[in-house]
Amino acid sequence: MMAEERQPRRLKEALPYLLIAPVLLYYLAFWMRPVLAALYQSVADADGSFTLRYYQMLFEDPYFVRGAVNTGIIVLISVSLEFVLAYGLALLINTRFRGSTFFLFLALIPMALPPVAVGAMWASGLATYGWLNSLLVHLGLLGVDERIAFLAGGEARSLAVIILVDGWQVVPFMMILLLAGLQNLPRETVEAGRVFGGSQWTVIWRIVTPQLRATIQTALLLRIIAAIQIWLIIVMLFGFRRVPVLLEEVMYYQEELGGPLYQRIAMAYAVIVAVIVSTVAVLYLKVSGGGRQEVNE
Amino acid sequence: MKPESLRMLRRLARTTTLYIVVTGLAVIILTPVFLLVSLSFMSDLEAYNEWPMPLMPAAGIAFRVEATEAGYVLSVRKVDGSFQSLIEGTDAEAMAAFARRKTNCGLTAGELRQAMSEAPREWSPQREWLANYRTFFQVSPGAYAALWRSVYVALVTIGLSLTIGGLAGYAFARYRFVGRKGLKLGVLFVRMFPGVSIAIPMVIILGSIGLYDRPLGLALVYAVGQIGLTVWITASIFLGIPRELEEAAHVFGASAVGAFWHVTLPLALPGLAASAMYAFIASWNETIQALVLTQFNPTFPVVVYQALLDSRSMVHLAAAGSVVMALPAVIFTFLIRRYMVSMWGGVNV
Repeated sequence: MMAEERQPRRLKEALPYLLIAPVLLYYLAFWMRPVLAALYQSVADADGSFTLRYYQMLFEDPYFVRGAVNTGIIVLISVSLEFVLAYGLALLINTRFRGSTFFLFLALIPMALPPVAVGAMWASGLATYGWLNSLLVHLGLLGVDERIAFLAGGEARSLAVIILVDGWQVVPFMMILLLAGLQNLPRETVEAGRVFGGSQWTVIWRIVTPQLRATIQTALLLRIIAAIQIWLIIVMLFGFRRVPVLLEEVMYYQEELGGPLYQRIAMAYAVIVAVIVSTVAVLYLKVSGGGRQEVNE
Repeated sequence: MKPESLRMLRRLARTTTLYIVVTGLAVIILTPVFLLVSLSFMSDLEAYNEWPMPLMPAAGIAFRVEATEAGYVLSVRKVDGSFQSLIEGTDAEAMAAFARRKTNCGLTAGELRQAMSEAPREWSPQREWLANYRTFFQVSPGAYAALWRSVYVALVTIGLSLTIGGLAGYAFARYRFVGRKGLKLGVLFVRMFPGVSIAIPMVIILGSIGLYDRPLGLALVYAVGQIGLTVWITASIFLGIPRELEEAAHVFGASAVGAFWHVTLPLALPGLAASAMYAFIASWNETIQALVLTQFNPTFPVVVYQALLDSRSMVHLAAAGSVVMALPAVIFTFLIRRYMVSMWGGVNV
């Protein structure tokens, strides 16, 4: 304390702001500026006058509706299924066992893998003559002449495949987040529930889950933000425009079509995606960002 | 039954379920990884000519050469033990080259000529285990350069996010000031902002300062996302180091900078290293911004992405590229496995 008082008071007050200034300047230059540029360019005509035609063209593109609907389906179904499965697994595994540290490392792998490697993995696996069908034949689950055309079929089936592949990556990750939360819970509350005759189910539902609320909210909202931005695995499995989703459409306009007009449409798309994700992000900060961390401090 | 034995039975059942679940999960997680790695070592023949595809590349190769009216026929042994004719002709040079490409072996023209003179003959040449890896880099133009570019981008990203983010993290951990909470949440908000929505307008902005399609430009954009996370991680690291230690250093005459440099920083080092490795993984894996912001100077994931989209029939080569891609990510994940959960959890560091 003494030492701090020796510092000139004004410097002491300014110091935290000086330390934070680089971040703010950086964000101004490399975040704020592109965000404003995107907002401006998505409504500016070639001559600089105001126009909504990029948005209009975008909304008139039937792929936009399909992409938005597919993204919505993926977010709703995959995030909820993944969560239920991951929570069930976390509750089952919630003990220290031999090899648990190594198991946790294994469960980290799918999420840590580069998306392109995951894409190559499943593209080679789900191909009709790929390793998954071969594996099923080796295991005797398929006859030698039988093959499942995983990547053929309609959009519903393709979405199911996407959700399964996404689940391979996400379920272990969610499970670990929930396990970490579970292990931080005070044991006494669970034991008390048991002592007073609560069934396993009641204890989980009435005692464990409410205490995990913050962890669950964090995990779910982070996953929703990621699921809104799913695209690479879809393009690597199906190519562009087979199973349109929002980000795949952004990349289709930006990279596949290219050129000034289409890139403006991509810009408008980017603004829409940013608005959606930001809304979820604000929600996330509201429910989990504000309270807990500050309490710990 | 006695209550004790019932309890024991229940416990046994629980342990068994636990191990079944854990083993099942481990198998589900590892099988695709194993098969990708396996595929990356398979020859063209193994990957495409066998049905069902073998789950592992064969340990050795066996060739047979026989004389025919048109010259010689070179056959290769399949998994089931039968021989399949590979190529027919008289030009040992061309035939050996073809066999090398198809079977990932080190067959030389001289070796083949020798065998031809002794035909019919069976023999087993050495298998070249890294053939797919070599071929991937040969057929994907600029793959080596892209690999180093990826490392460079990751290092610059780490440097930017640790210095800029670390300073702010220290401020958040050590000082209370007006706007502190709002700023901290704002940083997190930027962190969660979709990368593609920054990358697309950045094309023109980077272009105007000559950094479009440059690794440095890409690193500048990656740092936007990484700084936010680094602020939160470093804040919690510095928070974990008692400020009394710094105050003690002041008492012994150290300046503020000196106390930080000699007392706090060494203690924070493991956490900072973990944060750096996390930033490395994120930058190394990143694809969408790299696709948007590069053209002739792509990073490695872009090369692998293109290899896979361009040539569907070269999956075993793309698999080799993917394994090269995945290796650093997995190694760093192993090193920071303890920190990983809190970093993923975002706020809950």
